Amino acid sequence: MNLKTKLILFLGLVCFLYTCTKEDFEGPSIDNLYGNFEITEPLTLTNDNPSFASNEQVGFHCALNKPVEWKIAIQGLTTNATREIIGFSNLIDSNTVVWNGGPTQVPFFSEEACSIELTFENEIDTLRDTITIASAKTYENGIWFEDFEDGLPSDGLVYYNTDGGGMTFSVANDDALLGSSYFKMGGRVNWDWALGSLDIPLNIANVSQASDDLYINIGMLSDLDDVHTGQFINILISEETDTPFNDNLDNNASDLFESSMEVYKMKVPIDWNGWQLKSFRYSDFEPRDPNNPDIVFDMNPNNIRAIRIACQACPSSSGNPICPENFGKDVRTDIDHIIFTANSALLDQ
Amino acid sequence: MKRCLTLLLVVCAVFGSVNELQAQIKDKIWFDGQARSYFARDAIDKNNTEDTVSAKNTSNGYNLLDLNTHVNPIKDIEIFAQLRIRNSFGSFFGSGTEINVRQLRAKGTINDKIRFSVGDLFLKQSRFTLYNYDEELSGYENDMLKPYRDIIHYENFYTENRWRLQGIQTDFSFKFDRFIRTLAFDFFVTRPRGSSAISGTTYSSDLLLSGGSMVSEINKNITLSGNYVSLFEVASSGTQNISVRNPVYDMALLHHFGNEKHHFEQKLETGFSQRHWLHSELVNEIADSISNETKGMFFELENKYSKKDSTLSLTLGYRYVDPNFRSAGAQTRRLNFAAGNGNTIYPLYTNMSMTRPTSVFDLVSDDRIYNQDLSSNLMVFNPIYSNALPYGDATPNRSGVYLKARLNNKSKVFLGKINAGFFKEVIGQGTAEKRSFGLVKAAIKLNIHRWLNWKKELSFSASSESELTNRGGDTISSINLFSHQVNASLNVELAKKFFIQASYKQFNANGNEFLTERDNYGDITYFTSTQVNQKDHMLSIGMLYKIRENVYANLQYNWWGMTFTDQPYSDYKYNRLLFILSVAL
Repeated sequence: MNLKTKLILFLGLVCFLYTCTKEDFEGPSIDNLYGNFEITEPLTLTNDNPSFASNEQVGFHCALNKPVEWKIAIQGLTTNATREIIGFSNLIDSNTVVWNGGPTQVPFFSEEACSIELTFENEIDTLRDTITIASAKTYENGIWFEDFEDGLPSDGLVYYNTDGGGMTFSVANDDALLGSSYFKMGGRVNWDWALGSLDIPLNIANVSQASDDLYINIGMLSDLDDVHTGQFINILISEETDTPFNDNLDNNASDLFESSMEVYKMKVPIDWNGWQLKSFRYSDFEPRDPNNPDIVFDMNPNNIRAIRIACQACPSSSGNPICPENFGKDVRTDIDHIIFTANSALLDQ
Repeated sequence: MKRCLTLLLVVCAVFGSVNELQAQIKDKIWFDGQARSYFARDAIDKNNTEDTVSAKNTSNGYNLLDLNTHVNPIKDIEIFAQLRIRNSFGSFFGSGTEINVRQLRAKGTINDKIRFSVGDLFLKQSRFTLYNYDEELSGYENDMLKPYRDIIHYENFYTENRWRLQGIQTDFSFKFDRFIRTLAFDFFVTRPRGSSAISGTTYSSDLLLSGGSMVSEINKNITLSGNYVSLFEVASSGTQNISVRNPVYDMALLHHFGNEKHHFEQKLETGFSQRHWLHSELVNEIADSISNETKGMFFELENKYSKKDSTLSLTLGYRYVDPNFRSAGAQTRRLNFAAGNGNTIYPLYTNMSMTRPTSVFDLVSDDRIYNQDLSSNLMVFNPIYSNALPYGDATPNRSGVYLKARLNNKSKVFLGKINAGFFKEVIGQGTAEKRSFGLVKAAIKLNIHRWLNWKKELSFSASSESELTNRGGDTISSINLFSHQVNASLNVELAKKFFIQASYKQFNANGNEFLTERDNYGDITYFTSTQVNQKDHMLSIGMLYKIRENVYANLQYNWWGMTFTDQPYSDYKYNRLLFILSVAL
């Protein structure tokens, strides 16, 4: 065998051995996946007395012998506010699994003691701990914010059908989502869809986020009992930049929502009991007049000039009986805390 | 008289010109194609009381004509267009009628030296670079189910294990009078998938497949070949900055020799693959990076002996395919078991509207569960139908020996085939223990009419396909899965070209396995434990009038169903009446 042949064979052998896989096995260990479940490191918290108002966080740590579906349930012992964090892994890492004081849904946490419970799917083990919230998370750090605590915004415009019964288009203080005031929107207009609306001017020209990263969060209250099954809120956002907010002083409504203007809409059925905080990505809004060829719908958050929260409900009277089962029922679509946030919804922050 | 003669000459000249013109047109444009009438009536078996929600019976059918137009504007160029006109039964006056261009291709030769094709191409290279492997349980199918199988292959463009792709291809060759005898090249660039909108503002990238082959006949006994194929995305054609790269290299050396009676072939084939995802920083002008890189090789040594009178062929080989060998062109499967790719016939069953598990009948009859697109990741497979080699010979993580044999006597009274293999995983999955696979497939055909010297056909065929998967170790990770398919069919030619046919197919699977779940980069993320104990059956009786090859009328009735033992599925049974008139133009 000459030298060249030996060299070729040697190189071939080296290549062969190099490319042979040297791992023990592919994928996760089946013994871990299907073997007995074990908690290898107990649940520990990084902060027992968090001050969420100062942007402190609580980190959770726990190690398991195999990946499982786990759930951390946090409950405020005074407010009954709850927060759930779920995951699938064999390590709950305190650097990534953190709580910043927000609930999964309203009510919000206050300064109170909270129970922590860590459970695992299909396993009986439950790990428990407690923390005490030193200061609750605040929600005043959005891009734009209206909480009605100082009454109606000074340049806000309220319009409602004055022929309706029990119309409540005003700030109320009896049952706010957060703080003490909220905007009560409702009444009874059995013969028509529109009940009324609240228009508020906006100026968020300094926002740098794209429409995919801008969220509109609004607390919404439906009836506490006997819900009107056809009621909803229409959120309109105007990007009309040439017309003044209140151009026509006689109509009690903003003039930025005409059919010739760049207006986006989101319809929200209000069919639950009590308060809920709803979040909407701005890019999920639809053009209100998509067939108007003169409007360029380029959706730019910098151009947002006004928001309209309109209360509407399905007519029920005999003259217009679209949903007669609601005849005589009061519509209630109260709102509180309109907050624009960047990059994520309010409760995900 | 002179006037009559002149008139006769003029008439002859005119008719002669017309005939010549017609002949010229005929030379330049010619047609062929395929026409098919199809009608199927499916019904729930009358003994089935667990499904009162689904329709008791449904029927559907269509007429279609695939008209192939071949235009030769000049001698060396041909333009080919396949136009499909399809009319579903029950639709009138244009509604339900589809007219599509199904294939379009231009091909030709430049200076009688270089061939080219543009448009729809049917491409194949080696079994490890670009190869469209046969679907499961189809290797030893009986004649009665051939009309079903023909439709599946025709509708999905499965021709000679080639992938149908769209692009450009060229090939040329040289002959030499010293050192080597011939040298041939083939190159292609295709686009298996174009850029498409994922959402309002995001678009997927173009997926391209390019490659080349070189074959050289070194001398009378030795042939050397090399193949290269690369699947890649063009990141700049979409809005995603992650693009796959999967080049595969292959080299084979074939040595063949023999004498007047015997022929021997020895083939040594090896190669390797790379795959990674390229992260292009299109916006920030940061250097590109790669992730999820895998490299793997394969090696195969095959020895083949055959008698020149074609009565015996015997192949024995050894194959090693690395766990990280990835070749999109060779590992893409025809059968797509991905979630959401449901059956067409009675997709839901029982009063709970459960998804009906795919049966052998669906594999035989449903052309919509088959795949035509190359996949850069290993596709999902069902281990009961194919666990030893779910991705054909290019199945990664396999090492083992195989045997193929074909035997018949000179009068072709008896034909037999055997395909066997024993493979083992190179590394385990989820455990250090490795699976071992046993595979035995055998088929016989008895042409009784040849034995009895009858002119009319009387034949019987039978086949058996078994697969056994085993893995030792502890009770949690151990595996024992056995599947077995048996086929039997009878063809009786009652009158000239008129056949009565009967066939029975049964498939059993019993045992346990772990189904592999992979992420978008093909890495294993989870193993789902599954228990199997099921039995499929399909009994068919029918008649065939075979006017000539590829022109036939077939009427058959199928009883088919599935029974489960200790599994969360309900048994089912259905019947089908099928009529097919198929005409190759």
